Amino acid sequence: MCVGMRHSMPPRVTAFVSAAIPVLALTVGVVFANRLEPRILGLPFVLAWIVAWVLLTPAFLWVAYRSRTS
Amino acid sequence: MNAAIALGIVGVVVAGTILFGLRGVRGVAMDPQEYIVGGRRMGALLLWLLLAGEIYTTFTFLGAAGWAYGKGAPAYYILCYGTVAYVISFFLAPPIHRIARERGMLTGPDFFVDRYGSRRLGALVAVLGFLMLVPYVTLQLTGLQILLQIAGYGAINPFAAVAIGFFVVAIFTFVTGLRGAAFASIVKDALVLIGVLFAGLVLPTHFFGSPAGALDAVLRDHPTWLTIAGPSAPNGITWVVTTTILTACGFFMWPQSMAAIYSARDEDTLRRNAIFLPFYQVMLLLVFFAGFTALEVLPGLKGAAADQSFMLVVQKYYPAWVLGGVAAAGTLAALIPAAAQLLAAASIIGKNVFADYGLTRDAAAETRTTRILVLVVALLAFAFWALARTTLVGLLLIGYNGITQLFPGVVLGVLRNRPPAIAVGSGIVAGLIVLVYFAATQQGQVAGINTGLVALAVNAAVLGVVAAVARRRSLAAAGDVGPSTSSG
Repeated sequence: MCVGMRHSMPPRVTAFVSAAIPVLALTVGVVFANRLEPRILGLPFVLAWIVAWVLLTPAFLWVAYRSRTS
Repeated sequence: MNAAIALGIVGVVVAGTILFGLRGVRGVAMDPQEYIVGGRRMGALLLWLLLAGEIYTTFTFLGAAGWAYGKGAPAYYILCYGTVAYVISFFLAPPIHRIARERGMLTGPDFFVDRYGSRRLGALVAVLGFLMLVPYVTLQLTGLQILLQIAGYGAINPFAAVAIGFFVVAIFTFVTGLRGAAFASIVKDALVLIGVLFAGLVLPTHFFGSPAGALDAVLRDHPTWLTIAGPSAPNGITWVVTTTILTACGFFMWPQSMAAIYSARDEDTLRRNAIFLPFYQVMLLLVFFAGFTALEVLPGLKGAAADQSFMLVVQKYYPAWVLGGVAAAGTLAALIPAAAQLLAAASIIGKNVFADYGLTRDAAAETRTTRILVLVVALLAFAFWALARTTLVGLLLIGYNGITQLFPGVVLGVLRNRPPAIAVGSGIVAGLIVLVYFAATQQGQVAGINTGLVALAVNAAVLGVVAAVARRRSLAAAGDVGPSTSSG
């Protein structure tokens, strides 16, 4: 393993931070999003919050993926 | 007549899917590596389908709708936990796969045997996995019974129907192993997708003009139904968050999930899978719509009967061929995951108890033993189904409480510095003792916290203490080689 090819800490940290964001949104975040109003496309706010973060998770994981392999 | 149409459709679809699964394994020789982990060369698509098989089970099809019907907002946890689990798997699955490939592992417990240098720990993990799979397989059986009973318009004996359905899947698993199950998943997922689209979009639109209309109707009759209750309430916000964490940690601890990780072609396949799997979860939203619609159209089902809610709506308001189609999708969603679970339960006992203790002599005997155990597990699960009845989500949570106790051992197992086997084993046993205590006193939550997570915390604490004590002792007796130094 030559030194130039080796990834130092930052990309790894980027990966963890990026992945941690949807995890926090879908656990602790639900506590704060637990409201009925405003309803979004007819969904209660808390359900819309959860669905939005489920859909956003691939984007955050993709950032984590790129930062690990770039 | 109606029953004949609906059940006829179910029968044809199940037979067709099994034939498709058999095609997938034509000409493949069945050594244990092929039988249990599909030869370790499953590409991205097949693996995606196999892992997604976890999501599209009867649990999704009936259980999630049943909870939306019977409990309301607490069902949202089901949307959260799979997604969090995929994030965890993004980091955890690749190293597990790499280690498993290097060391030639076949089963989940193999990971413990190798990483902690302890055959006994492997056997403990195997027995735990086996026991926790029984309620999971029972979940599929209960779903099967509901579907066949409703598709038969009450005319057939559900006991006989379940026995036949399960016998078919046991034979299917017996013959094809993991690869057949993955191929059959292709048909299953396509049909379930259609079934879910129907249940989640057509049903609410038919009765309320749109899914949002169904939610409005629910809110008129039950103003608090769609938001989660307070921190200490039963299934309140604390419960939802702690249950999400618990089940997300447990998601990939199932023996069949570990086998799926091993079966990947390479590490990158697993990472890319983790990125895209959350999209699958969105289907659950439609299943919730089906449950909420049923709550307004057909109110009054209590307890475990809530699991039947949207199927009963289909039975009452739609022609037999629609019911047959939806029931066929649901039946596959029970049978195919059950096949993977049967195989997992059988293979861990076959490998980590029989083979590891020298009770089977060669690879052929090992495959044969695993096959016989598939039938044994099927019979056991059938007996459990006949005796115990609870909601589908209830059954799933029993299994998750137990299987998640493996999480600390798996996470620490990918590290270079690992605790000794005795620490991991003590933690698991301590966690199980806590679970048995809570089960005996019938507590599902403590101060709002899911008791499974309490057990996991005790597990981790005991692991830490025993590891620290063992380290001090091995330092004191310097020169002695402890189990923690068995691999570098």
